[in-house]
Amino acid sequence: MKLRDKLEILADAAKYDSSCASSGAPKRSSAGKDGLGTTTGMGICHSYTPDGRCVALLKILFTNFCQYDCQYCVNRRSSNVPRARFQVDEVVKLTMDFYRRNYIEGLFLSSGIVRSANYTMEQLVEVARRLREVELFRGYIHLKTIPDADPQLIALAGKYADRLSVNIELPTQESVEKLAPEKNVHTIKMAMGTIRSKLDESQDKRAPRFSPGGQSTQMIVGADASDDRSILDTAVTLYSAYKLKRVYYSAFSPIPDSPSSVPLAPAPRLREHRLYQADFLVRGYGFQVPELLDADRHLALDIDPKLAWALTRRELFPVDLNRADEAMIARVPGIGLRNAQRIVGLRRHRRVSWADLSRLRCPMQKLKPFIVVSDYRPAAEPQSEQLRKALIEPPRQLDLWGAAA
Amino acid sequence: MSTRHRYEIADFEAWRRIARELLLAGVPPHDVDWLDVSDSGSHTLSLFESAGGDVSAARAPAMKPNSSADLFSAADVSGADHQQMPSSDVAEHAAPVLRVSRQCLDVLRSAAMFRDAGRWALLYQALWRWQQGDQAAISPADSDGARIHVMVKAVQHEIHRMHAYVRFRETQGERPAGSPQFIAWFEPVHEILRAGAPYFRQRMGRASWMIATPGGIAQCHGEDIEYGPPIPQPPPIDDAGESLWLSYYQHTFNPSRVNARVMTQHMPVRYWKNLPEGKLIPGLVAQANAGSQQLGQTDSVGARKGAPIRVSAARAMPVREAPRTLDTCTRCELGRHATQGVAGIGPRNASIMLVGEQPGDQEDLQGTVFVGPAGQLLNQALEAATLSRDAIYLTNAVKHFKWEPRGKRRLHKTPAQQEVDACRYWLEQELTEVAPKVIVTLGATALRSVLNHARIKLQDQRGRPLRHGDTWVIPTWHPAYVLRVPDPRARTDALADIVAALRQAQALSESDVVAG
Ligand code: SF4
Repeated sequence: MKLRDKLEILADAAKYDSSCASSGAPKRSSAGKDGLGTTTGMGICHSYTPDGRCVALLKILFTNFCQYDCQYCVNRRSSNVPRARFQVDEVVKLTMDFYRRNYIEGLFLSSGIVRSANYTMEQLVEVARRLREVELFRGYIHLKTIPDADPQLIALAGKYADRLSVNIELPTQESVEKLAPEKNVHTIKMAMGTIRSKLDESQDKRAPRFSPGGQSTQMIVGADASDDRSILDTAVTLYSAYKLKRVYYSAFSPIPDSPSSVPLAPAPRLREHRLYQADFLVRGYGFQVPELLDADRHLALDIDPKLAWALTRRELFPVDLNRADEAMIARVPGIGLRNAQRIVGLRRHRRVSWADLSRLRCPMQKLKPFIVVSDYRPAAEPQSEQLRKALIEPPRQLDLWGAAA
Repeated sequence: MSTRHRYEIADFEAWRRIARELLLAGVPPHDVDWLDVSDSGSHTLSLFESAGGDVSAARAPAMKPNSSADLFSAADVSGADHQQMPSSDVAEHAAPVLRVSRQCLDVLRSAAMFRDAGRWALLYQALWRWQQGDQAAISPADSDGARIHVMVKAVQHEIHRMHAYVRFRETQGERPAGSPQFIAWFEPVHEILRAGAPYFRQRMGRASWMIATPGGIAQCHGEDIEYGPPIPQPPPIDDAGESLWLSYYQHTFNPSRVNARVMTQHMPVRYWKNLPEGKLIPGLVAQANAGSQQLGQTDSVGARKGAPIRVSAARAMPVREAPRTLDTCTRCELGRHATQGVAGIGPRNASIMLVGEQPGDQEDLQGTVFVGPAGQLLNQALEAATLSRDAIYLTNAVKHFKWEPRGKRRLHKTPAQQEVDACRYWLEQELTEVAPKVIVTLGATALRSVLNHARIKLQDQRGRPLRHGDTWVIPTWHPAYVLRVPDPRARTDALADIVAALRQAQALSESDVVAG
């Protein structure tokens, strides 16, 4: 099979993984050196495909031959897809050639399970080793970790990779048992635990380098009946137990010849978007999951989770932006972390007024009912229900991938 | 009486020189006319119709408070020489020292790259205000500051886009001496070539490359970057490597998620003509919108012959150690949130058994009892009591870690009585199997579980061996408690209590006195 054919098949097979981050690696430079590549810490999207997704990495499977039969996956063994398999050399060369032309920040390599977890993992590690040790490649490498692989292989993967990820795929043990019979939540957690322990060890400067960009995972949304509450609870569990950098949510999209165990219809993208927003509120703003989902088990689709929260906590509002602390200001619908910081900064020079907020490009309509500033306070309190109706976002295509970045 | 001043400005350095003179002379902004004569002055943009598209997504400059950069002084503390105002004639002026914060200077320098004829006047206005003590002049909430920030954001965004959207083509075969191997043509909207090029030196190692733009070129042959005047747009090189990229681009696209608006927002149409993949976009969008791609798989892949893998479900199942029953225990909810059950460890014929409360964060990860901070303290206590850890049996009342999330950490939570009761099932198996002569209970949970008595208090029992069936039970503190005691004296005492309990356990285990 020609290289182009392999690339087509194995890029197609890998695109369901939504992780594309190329950030979090320590700074590296090849200026004046042999070898190739840099990492600036920030990550760069080198292109966007018409689905609005960023292309930062050469995201491919090593092979899409797979002996597992995960029902949501296009590469499951019972699927009738064309199959291909790279040679180690081919992946190395593709990465270097793409990198030189400034198409990518690095490589994201995953794989179907062939022969055994260890065998599969060995191939992935070998690609990374060749890139680092033979080609002196200093760009970004993300390796998918096969949960049942030997911890020693995981340690080796972390030696070469900037990020490792183990996909949990589904939020509950029951769903994993049902839809991914060969996978096992216990071994997935064990792999995440191994990675976390190594990450902890690597905090010590004398310890060997290990996956400096940490680890991440992905959950498919809408392939099973799990509600948003259990998805977010699982996410929070994973964040704190295994110190994940990110949990990616991927709205289930039907695949060719879908088995009857998974839905026929795609999950709403908006749901995925709301999960990213809620996840970000938990990680960045200090919200607790029960605050965002106390009565309902699902996030509202028509309004964003912060607004939904504020509407149930009317007693906390309006917030006086000239007095409140930064954390509370950031909880006001329409004010993000950076603007909260700027507002507090501005208070050192003068009292914050309406015009200041509008210059900070705050969405004033949304903000209005929730704030007090030097020259404005909301008139009589409208009912939450009315407010909610007034603040529903006009339907439009959302930035489903960038939003949570 | 004021005179009007008129200056022609070609670049930031020229502006900085003149701004310095003007500030010293106390010339207010409204007395100065600034004329933009940069080579891009001819095609200026209106300030607020930034061709950068969505500028709001760009990163703002780091807003850390910074050391101040003396506008005049040559003594630049950081050594970053680009931070200084030119200063050849400092001494002659003996004028008040003009200081501007590094942050302010950085902001102005970035804003100056924004291609707009009005930029020099705006920058001088902001600098003037700053000198007057009005530091809000560069705050994004200020009216001048807001304009400047829009410029800075647009410039940073454009630099970022240069890093992203430069596309090198590789010259094939022989090339004339001195001609670079990788050549790119890029058309930035702002004057960012010098700000954007150094990144490629880091990226490309010793490879030789050139980025040509309508305003000038940057090239590098593995050492320093050289900048030069513009060259005509080079004819595209026929680079075979590019076609693989086009294949990749097409196939990493998921047609079932088509969302051209978002793509265009991130990658505005004006870049497409210099991106090899740009020419594919309209076709891909059209195909996806035509509805032929409901399944998210690209045509050319779907059209190929497929093959299920002929492996039986039984053979496909990975070989795993049979899960220990502990790992599959559902007697209570704790197992769901933990990594693994942590069983006791030690000789089956040990005469001393230590029972703690539950595994902690480290025990949960490593699958072994007493390996975290409390475990280390326990080791100390064992050593002090001259007891060998290998000779005793160590376990916990509850086998799974109970915790609650606190940001990126897990906070220990005391197990509820019903969890302790549920888990006694496992502890009793261990007790029966090991049948120790002496049990040291560490903390209240262990004591209650071992005695199967929910209301018993550790304070009342501590330090006194109790007889429980055929066994001695010695209640003492949990080492984790010792770690929590704030007062150093009390901490030493608590640790001594544990050591004493262990000594007592040893004595009792060696005596022939059988409890009962
Ligand atoms: S804590 Fe004990 S009872 Fe609860 S699940 Fe774990 S082993 Fe079972």
